[in-house]
Amino acid sequence: MRLFVQRSDVGEFRRRYRWMVLFVLAAFTVLVGRLVLLQVIEGDVHRAQARRNIVREGFLATTRGVIRDSLGRVLAANRPAYNVYVTPARLDMETAWPLLVRLAHLEDAERATVEQKIRERRNLDPKDRRRQQQILVKVDIDRDAVAYLETHERELDGVEVAPSPVRYYPYGSLGAHVIGTMREVNREELAWLGDRGYRAGDRTGAIGIERRWESYLRGQRGMRKIVRGAGRRVDPAQIEAKYLEEPRRVEPIPGRDISLTLDIELIESMERAMHGQLAGAAVAVDVRTGRLVALISKPSFDPNVVSGGQGIKAVSDAYTRLYADPLKPTLDKTISAAYPPGSTYKPFTALAGLIDGLVDPHAEIDCHGGFEYGKRYFRCTGVHRHVNLHSAIVQSCNTYFYELGSRISIDRLASIGLDFGFGVKTGIGVNPEARGRMPTRGWYTRRYKEAFRGGFTVLSAIGQGATTVTVLQLALAYAALANGGTVYQPQVVRSIETSDGTVVQEFPPRVKRIVDLNQTQLSLLKNAMQGVITDKHGTGYGGRIPGVDLAGKTGTAQVSHVTPRSVDPNREWYFNRDHAWFAGYSPAASPEIAIVVLIEHGGGGGKNAVPVAMRVIRDWQKMKEDRLAARAPGAGTKGNL
Amino acid sequence: MARDHIAARGSPGIDMPLLLAVMAIITLGLVNLYSATSVYADDAQRAQLADIYVSQIYWIVVGTLLAILVASIDYRSFDRLALVSYLGGLVALGLVFVLARNIRGASRWIAIGSFNFQPSEFMKIVLILVIARYLHNDPKVEPRTLIDFALPALLVGVPAAFVMAQPDLGTALIYLLTAGSMLAMTRIRRRSLLTLIAMLGVSIPLAWNFLLLRYQRDRITSFLNPENDNTGAGWHAFQAQTAIGNGQLFGEGFMQGTQNQFRLLPDQFSDFPFAVFCEDWGLSGAVVLLGLYCFAVIWAIHVASQAKDRFGAALAIGVGANLFWHVILNVGMAVGVLPVVGVTLPLFSYGGSSVVTMMVGLGILMNVSMRR
Repeated sequence: MRLFVQRSDVGEFRRRYRWMVLFVLAAFTVLVGRLVLLQVIEGDVHRAQARRNIVREGFLATTRGVIRDSLGRVLAANRPAYNVYVTPARLDMETAWPLLVRLAHLEDAERATVEQKIRERRNLDPKDRRRQQQILVKVDIDRDAVAYLETHERELDGVEVAPSPVRYYPYGSLGAHVIGTMREVNREELAWLGDRGYRAGDRTGAIGIERRWESYLRGQRGMRKIVRGAGRRVDPAQIEAKYLEEPRRVEPIPGRDISLTLDIELIESMERAMHGQLAGAAVAVDVRTGRLVALISKPSFDPNVVSGGQGIKAVSDAYTRLYADPLKPTLDKTISAAYPPGSTYKPFTALAGLIDGLVDPHAEIDCHGGFEYGKRYFRCTGVHRHVNLHSAIVQSCNTYFYELGSRISIDRLASIGLDFGFGVKTGIGVNPEARGRMPTRGWYTRRYKEAFRGGFTVLSAIGQGATTVTVLQLALAYAALANGGTVYQPQVVRSIETSDGTVVQEFPPRVKRIVDLNQTQLSLLKNAMQGVITDKHGTGYGGRIPGVDLAGKTGTAQVSHVTPRSVDPNREWYFNRDHAWFAGYSPAASPEIAIVVLIEHGGGGGKNAVPVAMRVIRDWQKMKEDRLAARAPGAGTKGNL
Repeated sequence: MARDHIAARGSPGIDMPLLLAVMAIITLGLVNLYSATSVYADDAQRAQLADIYVSQIYWIVVGTLLAILVASIDYRSFDRLALVSYLGGLVALGLVFVLARNIRGASRWIAIGSFNFQPSEFMKIVLILVIARYLHNDPKVEPRTLIDFALPALLVGVPAAFVMAQPDLGTALIYLLTAGSMLAMTRIRRRSLLTLIAMLGVSIPLAWNFLLLRYQRDRITSFLNPENDNTGAGWHAFQAQTAIGNGQLFGEGFMQGTQNQFRLLPDQFSDFPFAVFCEDWGLSGAVVLLGLYCFAVIWAIHVASQAKDRFGAALAIGVGANLFWHVILNVGMAVGVLPVVGVTLPLFSYGGSSVVTMMVGLGILMNVSMRR
């Protein structure tokens, strides 16, 4: 009975079977369809992701090019500092991270910031590339930690130690402004420098040669791929052969070395000669080539600290100190600042007068301590009585030049200045350049919106008024006077070499302009400039050193008595003091080197600037003799210059 | 008696296609388990995981013996066992809360001696028996109303509530879907069907708020918005899909799948063996495997259609549905068309209770097939 009943009841189910089969087939079809999508259509995407999961790209550090002086002495080199990076996506937060914290001696605050950053990245979308971007954990970890991390590399997945060369400046603050410093690339720069291979924590040139020649010095980072290790029983080499795509290793290309025209010994001598002076600048330039031999700007700073050699904290502390200093140590006073040239400008005024036939060099005028022009009385430095052009320069008589200034147009003064390279940037290329100012009638009209007054010209004639120049411009102009009128393009880089010493590029001297000068007139001036030192009435006579062959012109430039608010009133007297100048060349008869010394708020030029220049030239003469002796046959193996 | 009956009807005896399909799945499952767990061989702390394929073999042997036992007794006598085992199963599920070992936040196991026993797995078979018995004893010619489903709903609802409380969403879903599939064989009044759909619609938000735990909700939200979540459930699913995609057409080769070998796959021997399989063998392997499962399910429907009574037909459908939903939920989760729920892949995932239960179910199917 049971059998019968059941058989008829099965009928209720029967109509369902076909639908069920269809449903099952449809469900499996969906699964297979999805598999086709994943494995065939998107297969390559997933395979690439799978490879990314197991392969990591390590970077091979390159070495930054070395900067040398003209005699091959190293001015900027590298020492290794070991930085630790982590890749957030791969780091094991339970085991590897605490170990790393211990090894790197991370302080709690540091640890917390980095850890938070890592966790943020880990929470991003798995496809987000930022998960794979390395985060800098610590710079310059100690050698023991480096050794441990390197031996346990395969266990510490997601941790990478990259030796990064820290810039090292053997001469410290000497020539720091022109040689330059390094700094870390900041986040905004990374956004656009990333394509050029910069990464967080990288350093780039901040100022000077380091910055200007960054692309040459930097070099190119190398790359190597390795398979990350976990749960593998197979030989790593075999695995790598299988999973790593070529190129598996790209060797780093070291940066180019740069040879400068500078002579660090002479810079050292300048530093010594300026000892005791608070602030100022000096430039020495080869008058035959326009190559800069020495540049200093005082006060200076230690580029080793500023470039991060002693850690981030030291850098920020140093900058806080440097920026607060009223003497402006960060300012490159040779290039980036313009000052009134004072009497050092007089030779150019004289030259304009001679060329235009406005002065008879032998005619005398009577100086009784000043010059009345219009309603104003312009003071001289003393009462010089009868002066001609020669004695006016030797004794730096203002009255003579006021008189000349009253006869010449201000535009003419500006045009001779422009001929010698004042009022325009020299194009040296390192550090931001101040242009200086050669005021013209038009400039005054725009500036003061009232009638032009002849008094402006009178002041400009003695290098005061609105006239300003940079120390470098003045040095180049004196070099042109010394060499007979050739204005050179200033150069600080002599050649670029590969790391093995092959010269890639050389920079021969470049003439910018030849000022057409009457050599008789020029020799008048040169005699006068020699007299500044040798004549016992000369303004530089007091500072002479016997045996030092130097000619030039002193200057004492009045500063505007507008004291910046930042200056402590107790120190105001200092900032109101005159700038002391000396500009000249040596040897007087056949000049080789031009030198300009500026002592900021140093007082009288003859008293303060001349001795500095004297000592530098004395050292320079000695260096020259020594080097000649060393090169001479039979000098032995003493030096290899 | 049973033997007499077979002899009398001249049935073909053992159902060879079913047997071969199951043997093939078992073999692939073991090979895959070996590949999946081989990665632990050089892990000092978890080296024992590399040997679990051996215990899996033991469980398959136990399951096979039980399946033979189950297949050799005429299924109609199970009728009488249904209620007793159902009550026993409920007691065991209740015991879980008292005795259970807490594994990863869910209490599912009871330790008996040295091995862990998972009552919720065996409940799957018991539920099939109970529902089949209900359908067997309640033949109707006219379409059914919702009232008619009150009893089976209660029969499923109680154990489902128990496993939800463990919490084990996957098993609860399997109960509901298996029982639902079996009940779907009946004829239902159209109005009742519409009411049912409406009730489901209302109950989904309620279940979301009051039944699901936070991690379960997270899994579903992360499934619906894969971009927003990458650490927990979404991360697992992402790695599994990468593994599957990495297999491409022909796979990386046995024990060569990098996602598995480099241990980027989570739960590769329990929740994601399919990803390991796809990575090793590619689309070709996956299609073979899914083909085998699909065949087994359709074969179960075929057996049901040939069954000589409602009880046998319902049992066959129940076993088929149980297999089907396991495969769909597990593979659907692995390939990313369904949210991550912990459902095993039959005879692939490691687990004694799961393997034995599945084998017993297949034994019942064989039984029905042999006695049609």
